[in-house]
Amino acid sequence: MTDVDSLLSEFIERQRSGGDADPTELVERVEGMDRRELEELIDAYLRRAPRREFDAAAYRESGAPQVVDALSRSLTGSAGLWPALLPRLRERARLRRAELVERLARALGAADRRAKVEAYYHKMEQGLLPADGVSDRVLGALGEIVGASAETLRRAGAAIAPPAGAGPAEQAAFARTALPDPAYEGMESPTAPTGPADHPADAWDEVDELFRGGGRR
Amino acid sequence: MANPNFRERPDRELERLSDEELIEYIVGARDAGRLDACNRAGAILVHGYWDIAVARCRLKVPPADAEDVAGQAVVSAITTFAFAGGSIGEFRGWLHTIVDRRIADYHRARERKSPPEALPETGGDEDAVWGVEPWEEGEAGAIDVQSVVDQAFAELSETHQRVVELYGFEDLSAVDAAAQIPDMTEANVHQIYTRFRARLRELLAEAGEGDTPP
Repeated sequence: MTDVDSLLSEFIERQRSGGDADPTELVERVEGMDRRELEELIDAYLRRAPRREFDAAAYRESGAPQVVDALSRSLTGSAGLWPALLPRLRERARLRRAELVERLARALGAADRRAKVEAYYHKMEQGLLPADGVSDRVLGALGEIVGASAETLRRAGAAIAPPAGAGPAEQAAFARTALPDPAYEGMESPTAPTGPADHPADAWDEVDELFRGGGRR
Repeated sequence: MANPNFRERPDRELERLSDEELIEYIVGARDAGRLDACNRAGAILVHGYWDIAVARCRLKVPPADAEDVAGQAVVSAITTFAFAGGSIGEFRGWLHTIVDRRIADYHRARERKSPPEALPETGGDEDAVWGVEPWEEGEAGAIDVQSVVDQAFAELSETHQRVVELYGFEDLSAVDAAAQIPDMTEANVHQIYTRFRARLRELLAEAGEGDTPP
């Protein structure tokens, strides 16, 4: 049996037993062509591997709960694939969220209201801001920054319908399941106006209009 | 309006559902406004493939980024599959296609010397953004790079493919693999698998792979 064969068998055994399924330590034991061959064989094995049985303890200790959280936001939020797409675009553009917000606020002529733009953008990434309320101007500016068209962003936001039966209480319950982002603890998100008495003239401004006022502005 | 026909299932029942049935259940739970049920089924599906997706990413991207890339792929695969309503085929194959695309996106992004908006001739990289999912009309032209294993595998007859599956990827002994295929002997299993591996190395060499210094 070659090194490649025995290392492949060792990986398969580890993966099946639910142990450490990190292949990097094993592939580093061989070099050159053997390494590439082993990588390809492990990859081919993984493509064929069946779904693992659910294990609540292993699930909790893994990174999977965060993924389920993002999945929930995509499926049940009001912003389609934005929770999955926007962080990826930002990462691809090699921008930290603070840098992106800075540029977005400037592009929208709202550099002096950066905190409000930041709160809205945070909600966009979390899937908590209805996509159809976000204006083309915001999507165009955001697209310029991350390298996507406004149309692509619009499409991604609308790709999945919000839950038809989810009422306010269920939406709130859902929102609580989202993992809190420490960077935003204590930050107040802008609220929608419910009536003139609740909102003095200076509360609802152009930034609110851009992010919540409707799609074609 | 909530779907009145949705029936919540206990976890032990969910665990027995196929991937495609689980996704159908997730969509049904969402439409019924049963977010807890949606999340429970999502947990079973995501957990089932999480280690697999992460391990694949660890083979191709730096360890620090492997979980991020895998997470984006898993979410994207499930949501697009749910949206397509079963027209994509088998979920597992779809997931691995999306993992491949996200890994490619990752490397494309790192190959760029400047942010995407500085590439006016491409108008940004929409394919990388959206992943050219085949359910998206007009974006069906995506070419997925075939792995060298797939290439060597595709050159085999159906019977020989089965040998490689059983002996190579299910890790059965040659005796056990031969026992599952009519008119197959242990010696034949060894011979077929050895030829497959030789072809694999040939393809890797042709592709200029494996040239890394020892």
